[in-house]
Amino acid sequence: MPIPKLLQQQNPDGGWPYRRGGSWTEPTVYAVLALAGAGDSASVERGLQWIRAAQRDDGGWQARPGIGESCWVTSLAALLPAERLGVERHRRAIAWLSATTGMESTALYRIRRWMMGSQTPSEITAPGWPWVTGSAAWVSPTSLGILALDRENRLRPAHGLESRIDAGRQFLINRMCKGGGWNHGSTRAFGYETGAYPETTGMALAALRGYRGQQTDQSLAVALRFLDQCRTADALNWLRLGLAAQGRMPEGYTPPSGIAYRTVPEVATSILADGAVAGKSAFWI
Amino acid sequence: MGGAMTRRDWLAGSAAALVATGCARPVHLTQSETTIVRAPAYDQRLYDIVRRLVASQGVAVRGRTVVIKPNLVEFEPGSAINTHPLLVHAACEAFRALGASQVTIAEGPGNRRDTLDLAEAAGYFQIIPGFEDCFVDLNVDEVTLIDLPRRFSKLKRVYLPNTVLGAALVVSTPKMKTHHWTGATLSMKNLFGVVPGGVYGWPKNVLHWAGIHESVADLHSVFPRQFTLVDGIVGMEGNGPIQGVPKPMGVLVAGADPVAVDATCCRLMRIDPMRIGYLRLAAGDPAVFAESNVRQTGEPIAALAQPFALIPAFRGLRLESGA
Repeated sequence: MPIPKLLQQQNPDGGWPYRRGGSWTEPTVYAVLALAGAGDSASVERGLQWIRAAQRDDGGWQARPGIGESCWVTSLAALLPAERLGVERHRRAIAWLSATTGMESTALYRIRRWMMGSQTPSEITAPGWPWVTGSAAWVSPTSLGILALDRENRLRPAHGLESRIDAGRQFLINRMCKGGGWNHGSTRAFGYETGAYPETTGMALAALRGYRGQQTDQSLAVALRFLDQCRTADALNWLRLGLAAQGRMPEGYTPPSGIAYRTVPEVATSILADGAVAGKSAFWI
Repeated sequence: MGGAMTRRDWLAGSAAALVATGCARPVHLTQSETTIVRAPAYDQRLYDIVRRLVASQGVAVRGRTVVIKPNLVEFEPGSAINTHPLLVHAACEAFRALGASQVTIAEGPGNRRDTLDLAEAAGYFQIIPGFEDCFVDLNVDEVTLIDLPRRFSKLKRVYLPNTVLGAALVVSTPKMKTHHWTGATLSMKNLFGVVPGGVYGWPKNVLHWAGIHESVADLHSVFPRQFTLVDGIVGMEGNGPIQGVPKPMGVLVAGADPVAVDATCCRLMRIDPMRIGYLRLAAGDPAVFAESNVRQTGEPIAALAQPFALIPAFRGLRLESGA
């Protein structure tokens, strides 16, 4: 019953909460994407109105109204079809995304490191996307940034999009865990290797759609192993999306019973994962 | 986008701001006394131990709201990463027995986004009846922008969850662990979990860029009067806070002054608290948490201290003598 559950959770202002309470951008965009794919119209339009009203002057979106700073959720809003969001709004969203990088790949950071006598390791200079500006890039926001720009580039190729997508993918390749898969983006701490997470592995594989190499092969094996042991909705949804993006979703796979879908993003992304596995994705074309 | 804030948002923010500025009658706590008690295992005896321990601290919570903040980090059942749910449940029961009007469990993990799944994997649903009804995911709670009372990092203001800002008493229930960035993670570092991931992301990297020790001290300045109950029954040594090795200690450490409690925990771990950056910053003068300046009750440190293994980068933190 995922669609009635989503409809029931829409706030009077047209947005969606994570579970309860005020509306946030992330659950609202996921709910709109999921319901639009399912053919709902009234709730989707109210949701779109909330999203349109929430766009900031700089073209980005904040995590929720009142926060006052554009952030990673702009990638999600940019996944909405331009004709539904508004062509000019969508163009400004893409421009904000194109201009945003993690701090570690900025010239300012590299100059500061150089002045302090340390080199910036080449593996961290490929520009990904941060959760919020003024901090480093991480796997989840980078994956979503790539998905948004890649979708745009396939529909409306423009100067600079492809190179930014390639650089984002290089960021992901550089941040892959030893043995395959991804965690939030920190592969080593004080010389110790860190392990992969299922949900971020699925996200990165979705963003690496069409990219083939030893890294993706290793990570696909990790993703399939995670799928067999899956315990959470977020992990299951993103593993299905990542494997579907790579054309490697096991035939006839049945999700395990007992998985709890507790948040709006979990419910909505499960609908979107169903669509992707069936060949219709809101994340790519 | 400030114009899009709804009346409900404004009212919620205003209420929380009033709370943050002192209108919520914070619970009076005695400072700089730390109590160590033996707690040999995570079993039914813990309820009585915690009830006695909390009652002995003279915390007046009758008719007041209490928020218990455990440390939930990773999906590793049976590991020593997360605060044990039996301790959290025992604390809930203890504060209810003291007459608290409402006891909420609240946490905002820094790496993983599926907080309730994390809690379920850590055994919270199984151990704590009605867990989902008394739990708040601080990562996606309603938030208020707070001016930092004291600024140690470059941050001037920070969004914080209204559930925590509105509590008469915040009870930090961290795990006693080493930490590969800060040396040790105890009650003060546990406050990273009140910073909302929904606003700052996962991990809460803004705090890292602002300086981890400085950000811990910043947050301590917002919540200087929390009550602390450290889970040292089984701690973690080595490459904590996630990949380390369980360290059975059989202790609980409690007190009203997080600086004093954390310093005592460091001494139990044979880590020099004077070399933990955030403790020095928050205390201002390290003499504040010198062993002679912390009134120690319960078991003596010397009887229970055991050296926690340290990664090579932190071997210089080792407490050489009774500092």
